[in-house]
Amino acid sequence: MAQAQQQLSHKDGALFRQVVRHFENKQYKKGLKAAEQILRKNPNHADTQAMKALIIGSQGQTEEAFALAKIALNNNMKSHVCWHVYGLLYRSEKNYEEAIKAYKFALRLEPDSAPIQRDLAHLQIQMRDYEGYIQSRRNMLQQRSSIRQNWTALAIAHHLAGNYEDAENVLTTYEETMKTKPSRSDIEHWEAVLYKNYIIAESGDIQKALDHLEAVGKKSPDVQAVMEMRADYLARLGRNSEAEAAYAALLERNPDDSAYYDGFIESKGLKDGPLSEIQKAYQELADRFPKADMPRRRPLDVLSGDDFQQAADAYLQRMLRKGIPSTFANIKHLYTDESKRDIVQELAEGYAAGNLGSQTNGAAENGESKEESRFKSSVFYFLAQHYNYKLSRNLEKALDYADKCIELEPKSVDFHAVKARAYKHKGDSVKAAELMDQARSLDEKDRAINTKCTKYQLRADLNDKALETASKFTQNKTGGPLSDLVDMQSVWYLTEDGQSYLRQRKLGLALKRFHQILAIFDTWQEDQFDFHNFSLRKGMIRAYVDMLRWEDRLREHPFFSNMAVSAVKAYILLFDNPDLVHGPIPDSINGVSKSGETSAADRKKALKKAKREQEKMEKIEAEKKAALKAAKSAPKSEDVDNKKEDPDPFGKTLVETKDPLKEAMKFLGPLLELSPQLVEAQCVGFELYVRRKKYLLATKCLLAINALDSKHERLPQYRQQLKQVLADKPADLSDQVADIIKNEAGDLVL
Amino acid sequence: MVDVIPVSSYPSHISLLPSIQQCNLTNLPENYFLKYYLYHALTWPQLSFVAVVRGRGGKPGAYPKVVGYVLAKMEEEPTDGVAHGHITSLSVMRTHRRLGIAEKLMRMSQRAMAEMFNAEYVSLHVRMSNVAALHLYRDTLGFEVEKVESKYYADGEDAYAMKMDLKSLQIKQNEVESEKDDEQDEGDAVGSLGNKVDGAAAQADGEEAKKEKMIKVKVGQRLGVGDLVERNEGSTTAQY
Repeated sequence: MAQAQQQLSHKDGALFRQVVRHFENKQYKKGLKAAEQILRKNPNHADTQAMKALIIGSQGQTEEAFALAKIALNNNMKSHVCWHVYGLLYRSEKNYEEAIKAYKFALRLEPDSAPIQRDLAHLQIQMRDYEGYIQSRRNMLQQRSSIRQNWTALAIAHHLAGNYEDAENVLTTYEETMKTKPSRSDIEHWEAVLYKNYIIAESGDIQKALDHLEAVGKKSPDVQAVMEMRADYLARLGRNSEAEAAYAALLERNPDDSAYYDGFIESKGLKDGPLSEIQKAYQELADRFPKADMPRRRPLDVLSGDDFQQAADAYLQRMLRKGIPSTFANIKHLYTDESKRDIVQELAEGYAAGNLGSQTNGAAENGESKEESRFKSSVFYFLAQHYNYKLSRNLEKALDYADKCIELEPKSVDFHAVKARAYKHKGDSVKAAELMDQARSLDEKDRAINTKCTKYQLRADLNDKALETASKFTQNKTGGPLSDLVDMQSVWYLTEDGQSYLRQRKLGLALKRFHQILAIFDTWQEDQFDFHNFSLRKGMIRAYVDMLRWEDRLREHPFFSNMAVSAVKAYILLFDNPDLVHGPIPDSINGVSKSGETSAADRKKALKKAKREQEKMEKIEAEKKAALKAAKSAPKSEDVDNKKEDPDPFGKTLVETKDPLKEAMKFLGPLLELSPQLVEAQCVGFELYVRRKKYLLATKCLLAINALDSKHERLPQYRQQLKQVLADKPADLSDQVADIIKNEAGDLVL
Repeated sequence: MVDVIPVSSYPSHISLLPSIQQCNLTNLPENYFLKYYLYHALTWPQLSFVAVVRGRGGKPGAYPKVVGYVLAKMEEEPTDGVAHGHITSLSVMRTHRRLGIAEKLMRMSQRAMAEMFNAEYVSLHVRMSNVAALHLYRDTLGFEVEKVESKYYADGEDAYAMKMDLKSLQIKQNEVESEKDDEQDEGDAVGSLGNKVDGAAAQADGEEAKKEKMIKVKVGQRLGVGDLVERNEGSTTAQY
């Protein structure tokens, strides 16, 4: 230790160790008491101050914790404890960069400290600092090279950094030190072996990967993975007959994986026909797997004309006679081909008209009529869905068939639901929600129909009613059903609720929901942290590496992009109509005049009304809360449920932002980075950047829209907007930038 | 078309976890944090399966619609000392019922339990009122009711505790030429450090915890894996 800090007496030294132990056991009160006892005698003892800071930080007093940690550091800049604590505090605030800096200071003062080194390593991998992580892992391996985890971890570090050879060598070096042959139950070993194979394959040397797999794969308990990897390698090496056999073996295990069928058909050399051969192959597979759907359904993708008609007829009858409700869901993807759509429609209408002889020859009269009626209702249901579908829509017919269904089975949830769907497509979302509620009431214990109903109510902007419906399946704890849905990360609900508020121009609530989802994604990203350590112990390395890679593109999920597009729209709306901060003021006389041109008196009136409504809403909420509190009067002392109350349930602070366009970047940033192929994302990007006067970025979006969909309906308007900017030459547009835009956008701005 | 695929397939389908979670929220009253799904997928990657509908030409890596899943695990500290699997959650969307998806999901998970972790049997809980599920487990798959767990679910409903033997699916010793395998103890194989954590992890099991009290469920759901890790690795300052 460099600088001597105030020495503690023997007794206080022991007490200090107790403080540490209490902290680790989360006995904060005891720890605090002990720390204060030390500080009474040694008021400036830096390490004790630091530990005290750590404890009060864990109790939620973040500011005080940081302040005290700073004092501690001032008292002893050379204490690794103080720096480590400083890092831990930053880490708990999720300020990883500062935390890394602090840990590095601590480590410089105490290079052999395993806990500091480990904490640093975890942050480095969390931040994807691969070089730093390699260094840390190398140190950790040197300190304890007898533990396999440390070797595997270094291999992971190299692998992620792209050093395939180093990664492989580290794993091999460890394997060579093993004295006894590992048994089959040594899961950590066999996983490490497959991980090594995964690295070899990723390095591009498929032949080597295959040889390695053939040598070691037989003993691996992960039978499925070995078979999948082997089939893939054989196919990529062009060893077709072996690949065919490998995929056939996979199909034996699971005849419901389209990747296996693709592999099988491709290695048979049938990817591009001839059709008769493909059909033959599927026929053989269908015979081989009598219960599987795919060998029957997949030929419909490739067949056409009469062949298609025959195959579709057989398929539809088979499914509908069994009364399988998802038949339509299984068929509708074919409708992008209009001729197939028409053939299916003709077939189904034919069944409905009854021009089909009964196929159940010789069946007992009773049984036959039962099967016939099941067939009939399945056909009606199929047609009700068919005429609801956007590529084959005829809502009158859909309603007609839905009613026929209901007539046959008045208590069927699905039949009522399909009727509701028809009304939704007609644009009558209120009636649709009513009908869906009827469907729901037929099976109150089924959450699936409850969810559907909730969704329909949200589409009809019946937010309160929807929450009430949803609450039939939430735990309804202190925070009420909404807080349960937030807690349980119910992204779908929050998205629909937020989009509904956006439609109603209630921007505070809309932004509130979108930010709640944003926070859920942050949580999901943070969730990986504990696995840096946990997964090494469990030894499931491939899954861990897959997880890290998935986390890197977490926000490309449609759950995120769908929400983010709406969030950006909400901010744009707010920027264009600042009055909306007070509540939902209707857009002035539809389209005739843009906002801002309403008469001053009208505006005043609308504002007043909006404010009144806002107040009313807040009052109701306050009453609800009071009632809830009263009902649960003395909450039990268990501190599990004393969640912090949301200080801003209506998103008031969100909507009162001074700079909505900048706030919107929190959503637009990940959206454009991870989902640039979404034309909707590029559209909101253009709109936002134009308003932010970032003309180059707006041009980039415009070019992307043009590339994705040159006939996009908003493209002409956007082009015009950009042209106007170039003509007006606002101060924010330098000549240089204008030139670049003209160069890049070319014809688009001419 | 419905694909039934391992979450851990090659290439990985781990990106489907959020969709699996939403499928669960859509269909069932017992819900979990995403971290709990992660915990399953990263501890027993081979045991969970998902049913998806791919759009035309849909490739893995895109985000197909999830219409069903089975989330499964190995019991971390089996009270009977026998390695066995446990079904945490199983669900198929209403729109895709009667295709046999649930049965396929179950069978695939069961096989993986026996092959990968040498499970002797698999256990699960089912609501006594859930006739369809009971039919699947008992009549289709061959589970047996072991006992009734009173007030197992948060809403007060009782559960059947069921189990099914998997020994016929295990990979037999003599099929593998190896010296002196001792496959009795699964726990050791995972690494000795894992043991203490395993104990704590049992608490994180939302389903398991539900037997006890609502409060406990929350502890599990809220803290998830984080707490488990902290408990063991929390010796941050131990050496000071």
